[in-house]
Order: sequence, then C-alpha cells, then structure tokens
Amino acid sequence: MQLGFYFDQTRCSGCLTCIVACKDWHDIPPGPVSWMRVTTTEQGQFPNVSVTFLVSLCYHCAEAPCVPACPVVAITKRKEDGIVVVDGQACLGIESCSGACQAACPYDALQFEAEPDAKMQKCDLCWDRWAEGKKPICVEACPMRALDAGPLDELGSKYRRIKEVVGFTFSQVSKPSIVFKAGGLR
Amino acid sequence: MTTERGPTGEEKIITTACKSHCGGSCLLRVHVRDGVITRIETDDGEEPQLRACLRCRAYRQRVYDPNRLKFPMRRTGERGEGKLERISWGEALDTIVSELNRIRGTYGPSALLFLGGGGDTMELHRNSLIEELLAMTGGHTARWGNQSFEAGLFASLATYGTMGTIPSRSDFDDLLNSRLIIMWGWNPTVTIHETNTSWYLLQAKELGIKIIFVDPRYTNSAAFLASQWIPIIPGTDTAMLIAMAYVMIRENLHDRAFLDTYTIGFDQFRDYVLGEEDGITKSPTWAENITGVPAYTIENLAREYATTKPAALIGGIAPGRTAYGEQYHRATKTLAAMTGNIGVHGGWAGRCSTPRSMWGGFDFKLGKLPSSGGNPVQFGIPRRKDSLPTGYGLEGSDSAARIHYSELADAILKGRAGGYPADLKMAFIMHTNPVNQLANTNKLVRALRKLEFIAVAEQVMTATAKFADILLPVSTFMERNDITTTGAPPYYGYVNKVIEPLYESKSPLEICQGLATRLGISIYSEKTEDEWLREIVKGSYVPDYDAFKKKAIYRIKLPEPQVAFKKQIEDPENNPFPTPSGKIEIYSQRLADMNKPELPPIPKYIEPWESRNDPLTAKYPLQVITTHFKRRAHSQFESVAWLRELVTQAILINSIDAKARGISNGDEVRVFNDRGEMILPAIVTERIMPGVVDLPQGAWYSPDERGVDRGGCANVLTKDARSPGGAFCYNTGLVQVKKV
Repeated sequence: MQLGFYFDQTRCSGCLTCIVACKDWHDIPPGPVSWMRVTTTEQGQFPNVSVTFLVSLCYHCAEAPCVPACPVVAITKRKEDGIVVVDGQACLGIESCSGACQAACPYDALQFEAEPDAKMQKCDLCWDRWAEGKKPICVEACPMRALDAGPLDELGSKYRRIKEVVGFTFSQVSKPSIVFKAGGLR
Repeated sequence: MTTERGPTGEEKIITTACKSHCGGSCLLRVHVRDGVITRIETDDGEEPQLRACLRCRAYRQRVYDPNRLKFPMRRTGERGEGKLERISWGEALDTIVSELNRIRGTYGPSALLFLGGGGDTMELHRNSLIEELLAMTGGHTARWGNQSFEAGLFASLATYGTMGTIPSRSDFDDLLNSRLIIMWGWNPTVTIHETNTSWYLLQAKELGIKIIFVDPRYTNSAAFLASQWIPIIPGTDTAMLIAMAYVMIRENLHDRAFLDTYTIGFDQFRDYVLGEEDGITKSPTWAENITGVPAYTIENLAREYATTKPAALIGGIAPGRTAYGEQYHRATKTLAAMTGNIGVHGGWAGRCSTPRSMWGGFDFKLGKLPSSGGNPVQFGIPRRKDSLPTGYGLEGSDSAARIHYSELADAILKGRAGGYPADLKMAFIMHTNPVNQLANTNKLVRALRKLEFIAVAEQVMTATAKFADILLPVSTFMERNDITTTGAPPYYGYVNKVIEPLYESKSPLEICQGLATRLGISIYSEKTEDEWLREIVKGSYVPDYDAFKKKAIYRIKLPEPQVAFKKQIEDPENNPFPTPSGKIEIYSQRLADMNKPELPPIPKYIEPWESRNDPLTAKYPLQVITTHFKRRAHSQFESVAWLRELVTQAILINSIDAKARGISNGDEVRVFNDRGEMILPAIVTERIMPGVVDLPQGAWYSPDERGVDRGGCANVLTKDARSPGGAFCYNTGLVQVKKV
C-alpha cells in the first residue's frame, strides 16, 4: 500500500496555513527548514495575469531516489504504507556525505538546518497521526480543503488522476505519490 | 525554540476559541503539558468547521514571544526610545490614578484622552471596561471615526437610516444563492472577515457562480476565485459605479418597480448621471478616462449586474478608505436598489462587508457589563453639524466633544486654539497601536511627545508602547477566559484559559478592577471573571454555560441565511426603513440640509486629493494603497517568527514602473513623500496596476537615526486628513519610489 497526497490547485488560496501548522506540529523552529512549502507561479502580463499555488513537500515517491542515494541506509521506505522516513541518528550530515540524497531528489524536498553538518529532515506524512486515525496536520489545517491524503489508489479514484499541474512535472523515474486537480491560465 | 516538551506530565488538549481582530473566530485545540503550550490543532468537528488561519496556528510563538511585556514598567529614557524600568503593579496603578486625578483637577476631565482599539475583540476583556470606568469617574475625551469603515457607516445612515437594524448585512453563506458575485475591493482570503467567508466563496465558485473582482491588485482571493479581474485606479470606484448606472438607465435595465416602491430620489440621481444637472454625461467613456477601466468593460459589467438575478455587488471597505469614500458606499447601495438586489436571497444590500459581530449582524442577546450611562464630558454638548443620527452601538459618537481619530495628532498639537474640543494632556491607550496605525506617523510622534502623561496597556513592545510613561503588561487570550460572537450561521465561541498568565501580565478585567478600586468604584470587583462571563451569557441563546464552556462553541441554527432588510422589502407597509422618508434614500434630505457640496444629497464622484490629476504628481507620481497583510491582523502578530519568515514586508510595484526606475525584484528602495520616508525591499509584479504601489499596513515603525523608517510602517506616508463624512483616507496618497 502506498499513502500519498492529493492537492486541488483550484482551491488553494496561497494562505500558507499548512506551513505554519506543519512547523508547529513537528516543532520546527523558525529558520530555513520547512517540510511544507508553497510556491507561487505568476504568469502573463498586466492585466492578463494568472497566479497559481503549489504545495511543495516530500511526495514519498514510489521509486524514491533518495533511498539508494544515502550511503548509510538512513533513508528507508516503509513497506506497510510507503512513507519515506529518515533516521536522524543514522544520517551522516550534509557535509559528511555531500548531500547525496538532496542531489538525488527531483523536488528539492529534503531539508537541512543552517548549522554545520546538519542532518536531513523532511515531511514524514505525519505517520504518528495515522496511528491515531488522523490525517496529516496540513490536510486538517487547510481552510479551503485543498489537501487530502490517503492510499494513493483511493485518492486516484476519489479525485481525477491528474499527474501534472502548473509548477509541477511528474517524474517518470521516481513516481511521486500525489494526484492533483489542476488550476492555471483561464 | 521557545518551548520544551517536558518528559513528565500528561498532555492535555483544551479547546478554545480565538479572535484576533480579523473578524473571524476559529476553534483551536491547544495541547498543553506541564503548563506549557506544545502544539495547536484546529477544528475537526461538525461542519461548517471553524478552521484557523496561519495567524492563530502560530499563536504558540505569540504567547512565548520574546517581545512580550513581562512586568509593569516606568519610562526612564525619552518617549519613543523604549527605555523602561521594572516597577510593581501597585506603583504602576497608583501612578496612573494619581496622574489621572492631577490632570482632571488641573485641566478638567476633557484633558484626558482614552484610546481603545480592536486587539482581541472579545466580550469581557475589552477596552470598553476602562472607557466606562473613566466615564463613571468624571469622564474623558473620546474619539470618533471607525478606521475600517466609517465611510460605510455614513453611507448606511444616509441611505438606509441605520447601520444597526438587524440584519443590515446579509450572511456570507447566502452568497451561495447568488448567480453573480462582484467583489469590489475585497480580499477576504487575507482579511478573513468571518472564519468561513472564503470557504463559502469557494463553494460558490464550484457551483458555477461567476465571481468578478474590481481591484487595483490581483489579490490572492482573485487568484483562486476570479473568473474576471477588472483593475481600477484607486479612489475612482465611484466614477465606475456611476457609469454603470448610466448604462442601466440608457438601456432601460434598471428595476423601475423596485425604485418606485422602495426608494426616493432616483430622479435626481438620474438627472446627475445623464448630465442634466451639471452638463457632464457620466458615460462609460467619461469613466474610462477617470478609472482606467475600458468603457466596454464598464458597459458589460453594468449589463451583467443588471440582468443576472439575483446578484451580489459587495462593496469591500478598502475603496471607502479614501477621500470622499462615503460616495463609493452610497453608489454601491444605489446600484443595489437599481437592480432590485436588496432584501432578496443572493442579493446584497450594499452595506459594507463588515464582520457579523460588528453592528447589525445578529443580536446575540448578551448581558451588559457595568455602564456609566454616559460620558460627562459629552453632557450638554450638541451633535456634530455634519453628523447623521446614529443609534445601536454608536450612541454618543456624533458628539461634538469628540475628536476624529485621524485628526488626533493635530488636535493634540493645536487643542482648542485650533478649533478642537479639548486641550489634551494625558492619554490612556489600551489594545491599540496608534503610532503605527494612525495616518501620518511622524506627526503623531511629535504630538505624543507634547502630552504630560501617557499610560499604555499592551502585550508586546509596540511602537506606541515605547511612548508610555507607565506600561502595563496584558495577558493573551490563551491566559484568560472570554466569549466571542460571530459567524454565518452565527455562533458563540468560548475562550478557555489554556495556561496561567505569563510573567506578571494581567487581564483587562484585572487591570480595570485595580484601577476601579483606587478610584472608589467597587462594581467590577463584585464578580470574578467566571461570574462576569456567566452574567454575559445568562440571557443569551446559550442554554447551558458549562456545556458551552466545555465544547467552546454554541451554534445557533437558523432556518435560512439572514438577508439584510428582508422585512422592509417583503412588507414595506409595516416595516419602513428608519429614514425620514421611510424609504431607501438615494436622495437624502438630511444631506441636502447640511448644504455641503462635499456631502451631496445624491451619490456623486468627487475627485480625491492626491489623485492622478494632482500637480503633486510631478514630485510624487505613484498612488500608494495600504492593504492588509496575510501574516498580520493590522499591527498584531508582526513579531511572530514563524509568520515573519513566510512573507517579506515589501512594496509591490508594477514591472513598468519598476523598469522606469531601474528597480529589479528584491531591490531595496526608498519610498517617500513630504510626510515621511522609508527603506524596504520592492517586489516587482504584474499583479498591480501601473502607477499604483501597494504597501501592506501594520509593519512596525522603526525609525533609524535619520528618522527613516526601516520597519515598513505604511502610515509614515499617509495623510492625517479625514473625508467630509468621516472616512479615513489610508488609500489616498502620492509617493515616489527610488532605488537605494
């Protein structure tokens, strides 16, 4: 089974509540690390403008390239739900291994604090919350209900199985676990 | 990190309601361990859920903000320096009371100024506690003018005779009954207004309801909701609305039966629109030259609004925060009448888009806190000559003894000699940050230095707190119990105390009790916080206080969304409008009797000062608007680190204007006019009209040694002038921008 995300680009207002909710739940201090990010794409010229938002985080790829990239097997993909997790104790640190996982990730999802030889961290799909029957904190937080998470098969049949939206290219190599509803130029 | 998860102690989850002057009130499920907040979740209960926005999701850092005021303090340096020393609560309150008595004894009670602001807009711990206490003990000078929507209040009073008739604004969930929604200068994704406003608008979009935005900016609300964006030159909205009326009249699209039955004065308005009054036809071509909106766009919008039934043209309140902003709100109401969209589901009465908890939203039947029965400084003083009769919630605000808030600096500097009603000597400031949030910051700074004594009650070290002689630390809503009301459908929120007050901070009730006892008033101390809250809830719809407190929410079930003035439209015989004529007054005799060309009896376009035609454009060619910012509620939340890192305080400038100045995205720029100067980064974007720059309001005033603001406080540049009907003019102004 593979858990994944659903993101409705037509619903996202770019409010950034998901980012704060994630930082609070995972107790991430102010600074460069943010497991959840939102990118804004501005297209066109005044007055024919379009603006779309995209959540940017670890998509827990089916063939996660960060897993084999790690020299010490600190990154693993859980068999039971496909969540890609990192063992912070085992991670060597970004300088010690030259950030091999970061270089392998097509989505810039892997995060490091500014401190020397910082350990890798990233979205863990709130695996702690699933155990309590709850969805990830970002899903629960979204005021516009633009996010969902669940078994990827179910998300694909519940929503339309769109793989690419403004700002996002589906990697055929890594196969990210996310489906979309698309916004964009009208 | 400011908090640690202790290894001991069980984690508790306490549900509480928030409300931080955004107009919303959401549910927070706050995790607490060993008396420390560890995490905040939001509503996961019944629909419509009340999901918190980023601001209150970051509230943990606001509670544990290093900027929190810890102890009562006394000023040791110059005003504005922020040099203070710790004193005891006893000494702080004794000093305030002794200064209060000295000032009143020496100069009379009008020398005392009270300023209370939004802050946490809750039902018990509010600044009116102190205001009433001051009125009970001799009185004080009060301000008038609502910074947000005074233009809308004026226009409601003129047109409908009320802003307090319930409901005088339709519910936002009623927008699902519209067939067309026109969002005029309104960005609820950022301004919230009510918790689920944007959620209802999203549902409307998904039902296929067309949503059109008229705005100088392509806002985040427009980004995900708009099927059309019509950019417009700031301050010219009234001209476009009047040209839309012209199209309807020429094409006979207006609802004559509605106008005949429910309104008076349409003929006079029609004469003005067609040019029979002044020789100028207010055609779309006329408006195109003023507004920058193509004539065909105006024509199409007029036809669409007139022929799509029902349709909601929602006059956001920002376009009214301009010179002659009253005319804009008068015009939206006139168009609503011309299209028969008043009193019907899916329409919109054109009352400004204020939150429900403001006047005229819903009667929650709350118990009253102790009342003075009136402010002695206002006894025997007549109404202002340019005021309209007020009512519900605004009693006394039309007194000529009051000072318009935008003229505060001038009033302090000039006093009675300058025509103001008082010589101000002392200010008591609670839950508000006027140095930051009033127009013309530099002038107010000069004025505050002139006062003999200033007391400020605050949570954090704001720009205004730095001017205090005595500074009192106030607790946050996580540290006390309270009640909120808002919503569509309406609800009561219970604000549950989550942790003990930090440091030596006290609640507004405790501060009031401490002052009252010293002033010989015992009533505030006769009840505890819990007893006062029970008193407030006693006569309301809440059936069981304890159950309400436990759930933190009590929802009122309405059979259908409320519609403003439905009774007046369905049964006009028995429900006249509270105007002199009993009808919707497109022509107001009261305004005619004032005989002021700048407050005409019918809505008219009057060119604002500092417009694009002002000779001042030779020096300052860009119009500045000062908008809401998603990571602040006005000046609140500015120092919260999780929020600060998300969005940079910057000035938004169109690529054409940027290119002409050699400005690239992210460059530091100087923004200046004769009133002040600041340096901050620029964001170059296509999302704003050429000729307009957007400077989000609320960033904290931080002047450098040369007096140049480095914090990005918009009011360094705004003009401290009021519109004739009392509108604040935060969105009327000219500046120049140059690369540093």
